[in-house]
Amino acid sequence: MRPAVLEFMREAVDRPNEALLCFGEPGVGERLLRDLEAHMGHEFTADRRAGRIMVGEAHSDVDQQLENFIAPLEELRARGFALVRFVGVVAWDVRHFPPPEDFLWFESKMNEVIAELPVVGLCPYDLARIPARGIAYGALETHPFVLCDGVLRENPQFIPPDRYVRERLLRLPWLQGEGLS
Amino acid sequence: MVARSAIDQQRAGIAVVDSDGTVTWTDEAWAADDGEASLPRVPIGANLLEAYREYSDPRAQAIANAIAAVLEGKVTYFEIEHRSDPDSPSFLTSVAALRGSGAGAVVIDKVVGGREPSERHRPTVVRASGGAPFGHEGERLTPREREVLDLMAMGLDNRAIAAKLRIEYTTVRGHVRAVIEKLGARSRLEAVARAYRNGWVPKG
Repeated sequence: MRPAVLEFMREAVDRPNEALLCFGEPGVGERLLRDLEAHMGHEFTADRRAGRIMVGEAHSDVDQQLENFIAPLEELRARGFALVRFVGVVAWDVRHFPPPEDFLWFESKMNEVIAELPVVGLCPYDLARIPARGIAYGALETHPFVLCDGVLRENPQFIPPDRYVRERLLRLPWLQGEGLS
Repeated sequence: MVARSAIDQQRAGIAVVDSDGTVTWTDEAWAADDGEASLPRVPIGANLLEAYREYSDPRAQAIANAIAAVLEGKVTYFEIEHRSDPDSPSFLTSVAALRGSGAGAVVIDKVVGGREPSERHRPTVVRASGGAPFGHEGERLTPREREVLDLMAMGLDNRAIAAKLRIEYTTVRGHVRAVIEKLGARSRLEAVARAYRNGWVPKG
Protein backbone atom coordinates (compact mmCIF):
# COMPACT_ATOMS: atom_id res chain seq x y z
CA MET A 1 0.00 0.00 0.00
CA ARG A 2 1.17 3.52 -0.79
CA PRO A 3 3.07 5.31 2.01
CA ALA A 4 0.59 8.21 1.96
CA VAL A 5 -2.24 5.81 2.82
CA LEU A 6 -0.22 4.10 5.54
CA GLU A 7 0.71 7.47 7.04
CA PHE A 8 -2.95 8.45 7.04
CA MET A 9 -3.74 5.27 8.99
CA ARG A 10 -0.75 5.58 11.27
CA GLU A 11 -2.01 8.87 12.69
CA ALA A 12 -5.13 7.12 13.94
CA VAL A 13 -3.05 4.41 15.62
CA ASP A 14 -0.78 7.00 17.22
CA ARG A 15 -3.64 9.07 18.68
CA PRO A 16 -5.60 7.29 21.43
CA ASN A 17 -8.68 9.43 20.88
CA GLU A 18 -8.95 8.29 17.26
CA ALA A 19 -10.15 5.01 15.77
CA LEU A 20 -9.51 3.27 12.47
CA LEU A 21 -11.70 1.26 10.09
CA CYS A 22 -10.19 -0.71 7.21
CA PHE A 23 -12.78 -1.57 4.60
CA GLY A 24 -12.58 -3.62 1.41
CA GLU A 25 -13.08 -7.02 -0.19
CA PRO A 26 -12.90 -9.94 2.25
CA GLY A 27 -9.29 -10.24 3.41
CA VAL A 28 -8.23 -6.82 2.15
CA GLY A 29 -8.71 -5.07 5.49
CA GLU A 30 -6.54 -7.64 7.26
CA ARG A 31 -3.84 -7.26 4.61
CA LEU A 32 -3.98 -3.51 5.00
CA LEU A 33 -3.42 -3.84 8.75
CA ARG A 34 -0.49 -6.19 8.23
CA ASP A 35 1.03 -3.62 5.85
CA LEU A 36 0.51 -0.96 8.49
CA GLU A 37 2.11 -3.11 11.20
CA ALA A 38 5.11 -3.65 8.96
CA HIS A 39 5.22 0.06 8.19
CA MET A 40 5.09 1.02 11.87
CA GLY A 41 7.35 -1.76 13.02
CA HIS A 42 5.07 -3.17 15.69
CA GLU A 43 1.81 -5.05 16.09
CA PHE A 44 -1.31 -3.50 17.57
CA THR A 45 -3.14 -6.57 18.74
CA ALA A 46 -4.37 -4.83 21.90
CA ASP A 47 -5.97 -2.01 19.93
CA ARG A 48 -7.68 -4.50 17.71
CA ARG A 49 -8.93 -6.49 20.67
CA ALA A 50 -10.20 -3.31 22.25
CA GLY A 51 -12.05 -2.50 19.05
CA ARG A 52 -10.24 0.77 18.35
CA ILE A 53 -9.04 -0.68 15.07
CA MET A 54 -11.72 -2.46 13.08
CA VAL A 55 -12.08 -4.29 9.79
CA GLY A 56 -15.18 -4.06 7.58
CA GLU A 57 -15.99 -6.29 4.64
CA ALA A 58 -17.48 -5.38 1.30
CA HIS A 59 -20.48 -7.36 0.05
CA SER A 60 -21.90 -8.16 -3.36
CA ASP A 61 -25.25 -6.72 -2.20
CA VAL A 62 -24.74 -2.96 -2.03
CA ASP A 63 -27.34 -2.52 0.71
CA GLN A 64 -25.54 -5.02 2.87
CA GLN A 65 -22.25 -3.33 2.05
CA LEU A 66 -23.66 0.00 3.17
CA GLU A 67 -24.72 -1.60 6.46
CA ASN A 68 -21.29 -3.21 6.87
CA PHE A 69 -19.78 0.23 6.47
CA ILE A 70 -22.17 2.26 8.62
CA ALA A 71 -22.43 -0.12 11.59
CA PRO A 72 -18.77 0.05 12.73
CA LEU A 73 -18.68 3.82 12.20
CA GLU A 74 -21.73 4.25 14.39
CA GLU A 75 -20.29 1.92 17.01
CA LEU A 76 -17.01 3.84 17.13
CA ARG A 77 -18.85 7.11 17.31
CA ALA A 78 -21.01 5.84 20.18
CA ARG A 79 -17.85 4.93 22.04
CA GLY A 80 -16.81 8.56 21.93
CA PHE A 81 -13.80 8.68 19.65
CA ALA A 82 -12.99 12.21 18.58
CA LEU A 83 -12.28 11.10 15.02
CA VAL A 84 -12.67 7.91 13.05
CA ARG A 85 -10.46 7.40 10.04
CA PHE A 86 -11.36 4.86 7.43
CA VAL A 87 -9.61 3.50 4.40
CA GLY A 88 -11.88 1.97 1.76
CA VAL A 89 -9.92 -0.09 -0.74
CA VAL A 90 -11.69 0.03 -4.09
CA ALA A 91 -12.38 -2.91 -6.37
CA TRP A 92 -14.23 -3.05 -9.67
CA ASP A 93 -16.46 -5.71 -11.14
CA VAL A 94 -15.12 -8.50 -8.95
CA ARG A 95 -16.69 -11.22 -6.84
CA HIS A 96 -17.74 -10.20 -3.30
CA PHE A 97 -18.13 -6.62 -4.44
CA PRO A 98 -21.23 -4.80 -5.70
CA PRO A 99 -21.70 -4.42 -9.46
CA PRO A 100 -19.93 -1.25 -10.69
CA GLU A 101 -23.04 0.94 -10.89
CA ASP A 102 -24.07 -0.01 -7.35
CA PHE A 103 -20.54 0.49 -6.10
CA LEU A 104 -20.54 4.02 -7.57
CA TRP A 105 -23.80 4.71 -5.79
CA PHE A 106 -22.19 3.47 -2.58
CA GLU A 107 -19.17 5.73 -3.10
CA SER A 108 -21.40 8.73 -3.56
CA LYS A 109 -23.67 7.73 -0.69
CA MET A 110 -20.74 7.57 1.71
CA ASN A 111 -20.49 11.34 1.55
CA GLU A 112 -23.96 11.61 3.07
CA VAL A 113 -23.26 8.90 5.63
CA ILE A 114 -20.13 10.52 7.01
CA ALA A 115 -21.36 14.10 6.76
CA GLU A 116 -22.90 13.93 10.23
CA LEU A 117 -20.09 11.93 11.80
CA PRO A 118 -16.58 12.82 12.99
CA VAL A 119 -15.20 10.72 10.17
CA VAL A 120 -12.55 11.25 7.55
CA GLY A 121 -11.75 8.66 4.91
CA LEU A 122 -9.43 7.76 2.09
CA CYS A 123 -10.36 5.53 -0.85
CA PRO A 124 -7.29 4.25 -2.70
CA TYR A 125 -7.97 3.62 -6.38
CA ASP A 126 -5.33 1.31 -7.80
CA LEU A 127 -4.74 2.48 -11.37
CA ALA A 128 -3.51 -0.98 -12.28
CA ARG A 129 -6.74 -2.65 -11.13
CA ILE A 130 -9.46 -0.11 -11.77
CA PRO A 131 -10.45 0.67 -15.39
CA ALA A 132 -10.58 4.22 -16.67
CA ARG A 133 -14.34 4.37 -16.24
CA GLY A 134 -14.00 3.46 -12.59
CA ILE A 135 -11.49 6.25 -12.10
CA ALA A 136 -13.55 8.80 -14.01
CA TYR A 137 -16.94 8.03 -12.49
CA GLY A 138 -15.81 6.86 -9.07
CA ALA A 139 -12.58 8.48 -7.98
CA LEU A 140 -13.15 11.79 -9.71
CA GLU A 141 -16.89 12.31 -9.33
CA THR A 142 -17.72 10.93 -5.89
CA HIS A 143 -14.92 12.43 -3.79
CA PRO A 144 -14.86 16.09 -2.78
CA PHE A 145 -11.08 15.97 -2.43
CA VAL A 146 -8.41 13.99 -4.24
CA LEU A 147 -4.95 13.06 -3.06
CA CYS A 148 -2.74 13.10 -6.12
CA ASP A 149 1.05 12.78 -6.00
CA GLY A 150 0.87 13.36 -2.26
CA VAL A 151 -1.04 16.64 -2.58
CA LEU A 152 -4.62 16.98 -1.31
CA ARG A 153 -6.68 19.05 -3.73
CA GLU A 154 -10.28 20.13 -3.90
CA ASN A 155 -11.89 18.11 -6.66
CA PRO A 156 -13.61 20.19 -9.36
CA GLN A 157 -15.18 17.05 -10.87
CA PHE A 158 -17.06 16.18 -7.69
CA ILE A 159 -20.82 15.71 -8.08
CA PRO A 160 -22.75 16.02 -4.79
CA PRO A 161 -24.65 12.85 -3.84
CA ASP A 162 -28.06 14.46 -4.23
CA ARG A 163 -27.29 15.02 -7.94
CA TYR A 164 -25.14 11.98 -8.61
CA VAL A 165 -27.91 9.48 -9.42
CA ARG A 166 -29.50 11.63 -12.11
CA GLU A 167 -26.42 13.33 -13.46
CA ARG A 168 -24.14 10.32 -13.59
CA LEU A 169 -25.55 6.96 -12.61
CA LEU A 170 -28.53 7.05 -14.95
CA ARG A 171 -26.19 7.99 -17.80
CA LEU A 172 -23.63 5.27 -17.28
CA PRO A 173 -22.83 3.88 -20.71
CA TRP A 174 -23.26 0.25 -19.73
CA LEU A 175 -26.74 0.99 -18.39
CA GLN A 176 -27.53 2.50 -21.78
CA GLY A 177 -26.72 -0.72 -23.59
CA GLU A 178 -22.98 -0.30 -24.07
CA GLY A 179 -20.53 -2.78 -22.64
CA LEU A 180 -18.76 -2.44 -19.33
CA SER A 181 -15.21 -2.67 -20.61
CA MET B 1 -45.82 24.63 -26.15
CA VAL B 2 -48.79 22.35 -25.71
CA ALA B 3 -46.60 19.30 -25.61
CA ARG B 4 -44.36 20.78 -22.95
CA SER B 5 -47.38 21.74 -20.93
CA ALA B 6 -48.78 18.23 -21.26
CA ILE B 7 -45.52 16.80 -20.06
CA ASP B 8 -45.47 19.08 -17.06
CA GLN B 9 -49.07 18.39 -16.16
CA GLN B 10 -48.97 14.66 -16.69
CA ARG B 11 -45.44 14.19 -15.38
CA ALA B 12 -44.91 12.26 -18.57
CA GLY B 13 -41.74 11.52 -20.42
CA ILE B 14 -43.33 11.65 -23.84
CA ALA B 15 -46.52 13.25 -25.04
CA VAL B 16 -48.20 12.91 -28.40
CA VAL B 17 -50.00 16.00 -29.56
CA ASP B 18 -52.35 16.37 -32.48
CA SER B 19 -52.01 19.14 -35.00
CA ASP B 20 -54.79 21.07 -33.26
CA GLY B 21 -52.93 20.90 -29.96
CA THR B 22 -54.98 18.11 -28.42
CA VAL B 23 -52.94 15.78 -26.28
CA THR B 24 -53.69 12.30 -27.55
CA TRP B 25 -51.21 10.31 -25.59
CA THR B 26 -48.69 10.45 -22.80
CA ASP B 27 -46.70 7.64 -21.32
CA GLU B 28 -48.20 8.21 -17.89
CA ALA B 29 -51.60 7.74 -16.34
CA TRP B 30 -53.50 10.24 -18.45
CA ALA B 31 -53.95 8.11 -21.50
CA ALA B 32 -54.98 5.04 -19.55
CA ASP B 33 -57.95 6.80 -18.05
CA ASP B 34 -61.27 5.12 -18.77
CA GLY B 35 -62.68 8.37 -20.08
CA GLU B 36 -60.12 8.38 -22.82
CA ALA B 37 -60.81 4.88 -24.06
CA SER B 38 -61.33 6.16 -27.58
CA LEU B 39 -57.81 7.43 -27.83
CA PRO B 40 -55.54 5.60 -30.19
CA ARG B 41 -53.44 3.12 -28.32
CA VAL B 42 -50.19 4.40 -29.69
CA PRO B 43 -47.32 2.58 -28.09
CA ILE B 44 -44.90 4.91 -26.41
CA GLY B 45 -41.36 4.76 -25.19
CA ALA B 46 -39.72 1.41 -25.59
CA ASN B 47 -42.93 0.03 -27.09
CA LEU B 48 -43.07 2.80 -29.64
CA LEU B 49 -39.46 2.18 -30.45
CA GLU B 50 -40.14 -1.50 -31.03
CA ALA B 51 -43.07 -0.65 -33.26
CA TYR B 52 -40.99 1.65 -35.45
CA ARG B 53 -38.22 -0.91 -35.61
CA GLU B 54 -40.69 -3.24 -37.30
CA TYR B 55 -40.75 -1.00 -40.37
CA SER B 56 -38.06 -1.24 -43.00
CA ASP B 57 -38.90 2.29 -44.20
CA PRO B 58 -35.76 4.42 -43.65
CA ARG B 59 -37.90 7.26 -42.30
CA ALA B 60 -39.38 5.02 -39.62
CA GLN B 61 -35.93 3.80 -38.77
CA ALA B 62 -34.76 7.41 -38.45
CA ILE B 63 -37.59 8.08 -36.05
CA ALA B 64 -36.77 4.94 -34.10
CA ASN B 65 -33.17 6.06 -33.82
CA ALA B 66 -34.28 9.47 -32.63
CA ILE B 67 -36.59 7.99 -29.99
CA ALA B 68 -33.85 5.63 -28.86
CA ALA B 69 -31.49 8.56 -28.47
CA VAL B 70 -34.00 10.31 -26.23
CA LEU B 71 -34.66 7.21 -24.17
CA GLU B 72 -30.93 6.70 -23.72
CA GLY B 73 -30.48 10.29 -22.68
CA LYS B 74 -28.09 10.98 -25.54
CA VAL B 75 -30.11 13.90 -26.82
CA THR B 76 -32.71 16.11 -25.27
CA TYR B 77 -33.90 17.77 -28.41
CA PHE B 78 -34.26 16.91 -32.07
CA GLU B 79 -36.55 17.48 -34.98
CA ILE B 80 -37.36 15.41 -37.99
CA GLU B 81 -38.85 17.14 -40.97
CA HIS B 82 -40.49 15.43 -43.89
CA ARG B 83 -43.59 15.65 -45.94
CA SER B 84 -46.52 13.47 -45.02
CA ASP B 85 -48.65 11.83 -47.61
CA PRO B 86 -51.69 14.10 -47.81
CA ASP B 87 -53.94 11.25 -48.91
CA SER B 88 -53.30 9.11 -45.89
CA PRO B 89 -54.28 9.69 -42.31
CA SER B 90 -51.60 10.50 -39.85
CA PHE B 91 -51.77 9.07 -36.36
CA LEU B 92 -48.91 11.10 -35.01
CA THR B 93 -48.48 14.71 -35.80
CA SER B 94 -46.02 15.59 -33.14
CA VAL B 95 -44.22 13.97 -30.34
CA ALA B 96 -42.54 15.76 -27.53
CA ALA B 97 -40.35 14.30 -24.90
CA LEU B 98 -38.61 15.57 -21.88
CA ARG B 99 -35.72 13.86 -20.22
CA GLY B 100 -34.17 15.24 -17.09
CA SER B 101 -34.66 18.57 -15.41
CA GLY B 102 -34.45 21.49 -17.76
CA ALA B 103 -34.22 19.34 -20.85
CA GLY B 104 -35.69 20.63 -24.04
CA ALA B 105 -38.70 19.24 -25.79
CA VAL B 106 -38.45 16.78 -28.61
CA VAL B 107 -40.60 17.60 -31.56
CA ILE B 108 -41.13 15.29 -34.45
CA ASP B 109 -43.38 17.06 -36.85
CA LYS B 110 -45.58 14.97 -39.14
CA VAL B 111 -43.43 11.98 -38.76
CA VAL B 112 -45.70 9.22 -39.87
CA GLY B 113 -46.73 10.21 -43.31
CA GLY B 114 -50.10 8.57 -43.05
CA ARG B 115 -48.93 5.13 -42.17
CA GLU B 116 -50.66 3.84 -39.11
CA PRO B 117 -49.24 0.78 -37.39
CA SER B 118 -51.33 -2.31 -37.72
CA GLU B 119 -52.83 -3.93 -34.65
CA ARG B 120 -49.95 -6.30 -34.43
CA HIS B 121 -47.62 -3.34 -34.10
CA ARG B 122 -49.45 -1.97 -31.11
CA PRO B 123 -48.29 -3.57 -27.91
CA THR B 124 -51.02 -3.56 -25.30
CA VAL B 125 -50.67 -0.92 -22.65
CA VAL B 126 -51.43 -2.59 -19.35
CA ARG B 127 -52.79 -0.60 -16.49
CA ALA B 128 -50.90 -1.18 -13.27
CA SER B 129 -52.61 -1.26 -9.90
CA GLY B 130 -51.74 2.37 -9.34
CA GLY B 131 -53.44 3.37 -12.56
CA ALA B 132 -50.38 4.16 -14.65
CA PRO B 133 -49.81 2.30 -17.89
CA PHE B 134 -47.07 -0.11 -17.02
CA GLY B 135 -45.88 -2.63 -19.52
CA HIS B 136 -43.77 -5.73 -19.24
CA GLU B 137 -41.79 -6.05 -16.01
CA GLY B 138 -43.10 -2.85 -14.45
CA GLU B 139 -46.65 -4.07 -14.20
CA ARG B 140 -45.66 -6.86 -11.85
CA LEU B 141 -44.70 -4.46 -9.09
CA THR B 142 -47.05 -4.08 -6.15
CA PRO B 143 -48.12 -0.56 -5.13
CA ARG B 144 -45.68 -0.68 -2.22
CA GLU B 145 -42.86 -1.83 -4.46
CA ARG B 146 -43.60 1.05 -6.80
CA GLU B 147 -43.37 3.45 -3.88
CA VAL B 148 -40.03 1.92 -2.95
CA LEU B 149 -38.88 2.16 -6.56
CA ASP B 150 -39.76 5.87 -6.65
CA LEU B 151 -37.63 6.44 -3.56
CA MET B 152 -34.78 4.32 -4.94
CA ALA B 153 -34.86 6.53 -8.01
CA MET B 154 -34.48 9.56 -5.76
CA GLY B 155 -31.22 8.01 -4.53
CA LEU B 156 -32.47 7.09 -1.07
CA ASP B 157 -30.83 4.17 0.72
CA ASN B 158 -32.82 1.51 2.55
CA ARG B 159 -32.61 3.23 5.92
CA ALA B 160 -33.94 6.46 4.46
CA ILE B 161 -36.72 4.60 2.61
CA ALA B 162 -37.71 2.83 5.82
CA ALA B 163 -37.89 6.15 7.65
CA LYS B 164 -39.85 7.79 4.86
CA LEU B 165 -42.42 4.99 4.59
CA ARG B 166 -42.35 4.25 8.32
CA ILE B 167 -41.68 0.58 7.83
CA GLU B 168 -38.94 -1.77 9.00
CA TYR B 169 -35.54 -1.75 7.36
CA THR B 170 -35.76 -5.48 6.70
CA THR B 171 -39.11 -4.96 5.00
CA VAL B 172 -37.58 -2.35 2.72
CA ARG B 173 -34.75 -4.70 1.91
CA GLY B 174 -37.28 -7.31 0.84
CA HIS B 175 -39.10 -4.79 -1.35
CA VAL B 176 -35.86 -3.63 -2.97
CA ARG B 177 -34.85 -7.18 -3.77
CA ALA B 178 -38.29 -7.86 -5.22
CA VAL B 179 -38.10 -4.74 -7.39
CA ILE B 180 -34.68 -5.70 -8.72
CA GLU B 181 -35.82 -9.23 -9.45
CA LYS B 182 -39.12 -8.26 -11.06
CA LEU B 183 -37.46 -5.70 -13.31
CA GLY B 184 -34.96 -8.30 -14.39
CA ALA B 185 -32.04 -6.17 -13.25
CA ARG B 186 -28.74 -7.34 -11.85
CA SER B 187 -28.39 -4.42 -9.48
CA ARG B 188 -30.18 -1.66 -7.61
CA LEU B 189 -29.06 1.03 -10.04
CA GLU B 190 -29.82 -1.01 -13.13
CA ALA B 191 -33.39 -1.36 -11.84
CA VAL B 192 -33.60 2.40 -11.36
CA ALA B 193 -32.15 3.09 -14.80
CA ARG B 194 -34.62 0.69 -16.38
CA ALA B 195 -37.50 2.33 -14.55
CA TYR B 196 -36.43 5.76 -15.78
CA ARG B 197 -35.99 4.58 -19.32
CA ASN B 198 -39.48 3.13 -19.36
CA GLY B 199 -41.12 6.05 -17.59
CA TRP B 200 -42.09 3.99 -14.54
CA VAL B 201 -40.88 6.59 -12.08
CA PRO B 202 -41.57 10.33 -11.99
CA LYS B 203 -39.06 12.44 -13.87
CA GLY B 204 -39.13 15.35 -11.44
